[in-house]
Amino acid sequence: MKAKVLKKLNILADAAKYDVSCSSSGSSRAAAAGEGTTKSAGICHSFTEDGRCISLLKILYTNHCIYDCAYCVNRRSNDKPRASFTVEELADLTIHFYRRNYIEGLFLSSGVLRNPDYTMEQLNAVARKLRNGYRFNGYIHMKAIPGADPLLVHEAGLLADRLSVNIEIPTEKQLIRLAPEKDFASVYRPMNQISQQMLISKEERKKYRHSPRFTPAGQSTQLIVGATPETDYTILKLASGLYSQQKLKRVYYSGFVPVNAHDKRLPVLKQPPLVRENRLYQADWLMRFYHFRHNEILDENHTQLDQQVDPKLAYALRNPHLYPVDLDKATYEEILRVPGIGVRSAKIIVANRRYGRITVAYLKKMGVAVKRARYFILCRELPQTSGMIYPEQIRKRLVRQNASAGEQLTLF
Amino acid sequence: MKVLTPECVFTYDGSLDGFFTVVFHAFHDRTEPSAIIPRGANTQIPLGSIIDVDTSVSKATRVRKGVVDRSDNRNVRLLHVAFLTGMPETNMLLWRYLKKLFQHPPGYFFRNMLDEDVYALVQTARRVRKEVHRFQGFVRFQKTKDQIYAAAIDPDNDVVKLLAPHFRARFPDRKWLIYDTRRKYGIYFDAEKLSQVELKGEAFDLTTGHIQQNARAMDEDYYRTLWQHYYEAINIMERKNHRQMRASMPKRYWKYLPEKGANWQTG
Repeated sequence: MKAKVLKKLNILADAAKYDVSCSSSGSSRAAAAGEGTTKSAGICHSFTEDGRCISLLKILYTNHCIYDCAYCVNRRSNDKPRASFTVEELADLTIHFYRRNYIEGLFLSSGVLRNPDYTMEQLNAVARKLRNGYRFNGYIHMKAIPGADPLLVHEAGLLADRLSVNIEIPTEKQLIRLAPEKDFASVYRPMNQISQQMLISKEERKKYRHSPRFTPAGQSTQLIVGATPETDYTILKLASGLYSQQKLKRVYYSGFVPVNAHDKRLPVLKQPPLVRENRLYQADWLMRFYHFRHNEILDENHTQLDQQVDPKLAYALRNPHLYPVDLDKATYEEILRVPGIGVRSAKIIVANRRYGRITVAYLKKMGVAVKRARYFILCRELPQTSGMIYPEQIRKRLVRQNASAGEQLTLF
Repeated sequence: MKVLTPECVFTYDGSLDGFFTVVFHAFHDRTEPSAIIPRGANTQIPLGSIIDVDTSVSKATRVRKGVVDRSDNRNVRLLHVAFLTGMPETNMLLWRYLKKLFQHPPGYFFRNMLDEDVYALVQTARRVRKEVHRFQGFVRFQKTKDQIYAAAIDPDNDVVKLLAPHFRARFPDRKWLIYDTRRKYGIYFDAEKLSQVELKGEAFDLTTGHIQQNARAMDEDYYRTLWQHYYEAINIMERKNHRQMRASMPKRYWKYLPEKGANWQTG
C-alpha cells in the first residue's frame, strides 16, 4: 500500500509541475479549532533546482483525461503511465506533510476523469475531508473544472482559499485549434461565477460577520506563452482585462515547454522562451504595483516587449519628455516610474527627503540600480544632462553593460 | 579572535535587559564603550579592562522607557529584533543609535532614515525578520514515538523565540520542539504553553538534524521519503536555474532539510 502511494506521488507530482502557480498568499486565517493557519504574505518551504518555490503540495488527483489538448502532458493520446489517488490518500498525504512543516497546504488540480462534474466532485471530496475530517485550516488552492455544475464550483469556493481556471491559450481561435473540445465560454463561465460570488460574499460579510467566505485568496489563471503566435500586447491586454473585470489576484505566464512528442500544430523550440516570460512578469508587475496601464507598456505600434531592456526602461526611453525626475520634489507616482527605482526605495525617498538631500551614495545603499536610474533623475552629484535625454545612446550603453554582466533573470 | 583596545569593554549576560543595563551604566558614568560583548564570548580581552555589568531589570526598564518616550513601542521592538543578531557590531550600532536618540528631542530622530545608524538599524532588523520568515518555511519537524514534533535549526540569528508564536498558532493542539543546535537551546510547546529548554546529549544528529532512529515514530521515514521524492518530481529539468534556487535558499540552510541533506543526492 505504501509503495503504491509513492508510485502515484511520483506520477501525479510530475504531471502537475507545469502549472506554475505556487503562491500561498492572499489569505489570512488566525488560529482556530483544529490545526493550520494561513499567512497573507505566503510562505515558501523549499526551492527546486529550477529556482521555483515549493509552498503547496502541488499535485493532480488523476492524470487520466478525456480531453486531447495539444499543449498538455496529460492528453489522452499520450502513452504515459496513469494513476489516480483516492480521497483518503490525498488528505492523508497533505495533513502529514503539513504537520512536518513541509508545505503550506494543498494545490489540487486534475485531469478530467469521466466528466467535469465527477472530477469536480472528487476534488471537493478531498477538500471536505481536510476541512471537516481533519479540521484543517491551512491553505487550499483548487482548480475549478470548466464545464462542472455551478453548484459544485460554489461548494469548491467555500472550501478553498483560492480557485483557478487556466485559460492557457490567449486567444479563442488558437485555443480551439489546439484544444478542439474547449472554447473560451467554458473557461470564462466558472471564472465569472467565482468573481461574482466573491463580490456577493464580501457584501454579505459586511452585514453578517459570520457569513461564509468565498475564496478569500481570490482566483488566478495561467497563460502559456510561445506556443501560439499571439503578441505580448495581446497577452497584456488580456491580463489587464482579467485584473479589472474578473478581479483576478494573479495571472501566471508559463513559457511553453514542449512536453509532447512533436505535434505539427505547435512550434519547435530548442529552449522554453524564458526571457520573454520574464519580461511579461516584469510588465505584469508594472501593472499591479507600479500603476502602469497595459497600453502604456505596449500599444498597437509596439506589440512586443523589448527582450534587451526591461519594460520600465523601455517605457522611459520611449517617453523622454517625462524625465528627468527631481527626487526632491516629484510625486511618489513619478518616482515609481524611474527605471532602477523600486516600490520600497520610492517609499523611503518620499518619506525621508524632508530630512535632507537624497544622495547617490544613499540611493546605492538602498539598492537602487543607479546605473540605470542616473539617466532619469535630477541629482546634483551627477553630470548634468541639461535636461536632455538621448534615448538611443542610453539604450546602447545600458545594453552593452548588461551583456558584459551576463543575462539576468530575476524577479521572484 | 579579535584583540580589543583595553579601555571600557563591557560584558553582560547576553540578554536584552543586560544590554540595556550596560547602556544605563555607560550613560550614567559617561563612559564610551569600545565594545559590548556577552560574557564568555569567543573574543579575547586584555585583563583589567573589563567592566562586568550585572543585569538589573529596573535599570533596563528605565532605558526602555526612555526609548519609548522618545520614539514609540514599535521602535523598541525594532531594537529587540536587531539585537538578536548577537553580533558585537550590532551592539555597538545599538549603542550609537541610543546615544543619538537620547540627544535628540522626542519623535524627531528615529524616523530619519538618512541618518546612517537609523538606516543600519532598520536594515539589521529587516535581515533578522527575513530569517524569521524563511524559517517559518524551513523548519522540518520529525515525529517522535511520544507524538512530539521535533525540529533542529541552525539560523544565523537568534530567531527561535520569534518563531514560536507562529507555530503555536498553527499547531495549537500538538506538542512540538524547535531546537537551535548552535545556541544549544530550544522552545518546547506542550499543547498549552511555551517553555525554553536545553537538551542534554545528542538528541539531534548535528550533520543531518535527524533525531535518533529509536526515537522516531513508525511513519516518520515513510513520509520523509515521500517528501524527498516529491521534491525531485516537481522540478522541471528544462528550466534548471541553480543560481535562482541558491539565492532563495542559500546553501547554509540545506543541512537540516531532508530534501537537500547529506543523505540525499542533489543533482
